[in-house]
Amino acid sequence: MKRRVLILFAASVLLALLLGLLNHYLAIWQVHVWCGGLFVAFAALRLDYRTGALAAFVAGLLLDAGEPVAFGTQGFLFLAAHAVVFTVRARAPREETIIGVVVALLANLGLFLALGFLRISPVVEPAQAWLRGFADLLVSQIVLALIGPWFFSLQARLLEMTGTHRRNFARRAF
Amino acid sequence: MLPQRFDQAKPFLTLGLALLAWLVVPTAIKRMARVSFFELQAPLETTASYVRDLQEFWSLKTRSKNELIEAGRDLARLNAAYEVRLQRDSALRNELERLERVLKLPTPAGYRSEPARVVRRDFTSWWQQIVIRKGRNYGITEGSPVIYAGGVVGRIREVYAYTAVVELVSSPGVRIAATAEGDTRPISYQGGVNPTYGPAVGTVEYVPLDVFVSAATPRRLVTSGLGGVFPPNLTIGYMTRVEPSSDGLFKSGDVKLDASLSTLDEVTVLVPEPPPSAR
Repeated sequence: MKRRVLILFAASVLLALLLGLLNHYLAIWQVHVWCGGLFVAFAALRLDYRTGALAAFVAGLLLDAGEPVAFGTQGFLFLAAHAVVFTVRARAPREETIIGVVVALLANLGLFLALGFLRISPVVEPAQAWLRGFADLLVSQIVLALIGPWFFSLQARLLEMTGTHRRNFARRAF
Repeated sequence: MLPQRFDQAKPFLTLGLALLAWLVVPTAIKRMARVSFFELQAPLETTASYVRDLQEFWSLKTRSKNELIEAGRDLARLNAAYEVRLQRDSALRNELERLERVLKLPTPAGYRSEPARVVRRDFTSWWQQIVIRKGRNYGITEGSPVIYAGGVVGRIREVYAYTAVVELVSSPGVRIAATAEGDTRPISYQGGVNPTYGPAVGTVEYVPLDVFVSAATPRRLVTSGLGGVFPPNLTIGYMTRVEPSSDGLFKSGDVKLDASLSTLDEVTVLVPEPPPSAR
């Protein structure tokens, strides 16, 4: 289990770095891409509960480290999103990439709104803040839909290369 | 075997237990974990910023010699102008020190300038921050003001081993004591919500009633020096609109910040130094 979590963590570090680079360039237009749903979807859909939950939680902590929020905020939101997706995953063909992308999009939407409620300060004009937030969300969903299949494939390949193929435990619940 | 309903609730039960456990984890451990996660990512981001600098270097190498000669000539003119200013600045500084000695006034604390490259820009609707390529290794301290050619950038929020996080002046929630240019009465500046595809904005409160501005005749907003974080007379932005507030005692309005805030590649950290008498 430890090795699988480490592999998924390495993939999360790579994704966080790439999104950070993208946001660096998008800052010129005051646009920010946030793809939290992508850190959760693969682990929740295709792995056993413990591995997936730990990978999602650690990915959340990774994002929390560089942001001015209480440490653990995104960690627990990712854990909650993981629990929801894990509970309903049996109702969908979860091995399909398209399903993974749809789940990632839905998880991203839910997580973005939850974070918005937690982060938007009542001191600042909330209507304007939400308007800007929705613009960011729209761009984020487009980016997520574009890079989702690549990230799923990357995680699957990394697990295969290290001999921890997901099919070995894909049907196990706990 | 557990009933199916309980089995389905197990992920949520685990979540609840993890949350409870997290609440009792000591703050020191959380702080250590946060720093560890940040420092883990820092070398990757710093390497990416070095690669960007290298790309820029190679793109500049493609410029023709004529362009370089023209740039060198313009730079020489600028240098000559700055030399004259430096001489004037030196004369004024000497005069100030003489007056301080005569009047036996305490010398105010100074700043050490520390230029730093930008590693990452992070402009969300919730906060605006940049990461710079200098940290504790260059003696950067938390709360230090950060400036650039156009005025105030922000202040250092967190310092790590080789990097530091700067909270930008455009970040919602940032407050600075300011004054209108040519006025000594204090005004409260606060970062605002930054619209997509537009320049960063802020708001002002407690503007005196006799201050009039409009989009056609904006007025420069500068730091007041009150509070001791920022030196006085640094540009924050331009007030483009002020209207009487609901209590009728003051005015409040909008501030337009420099658009180049979102394209910064290099900034200067003003690291506070103790006054000469305390050294």
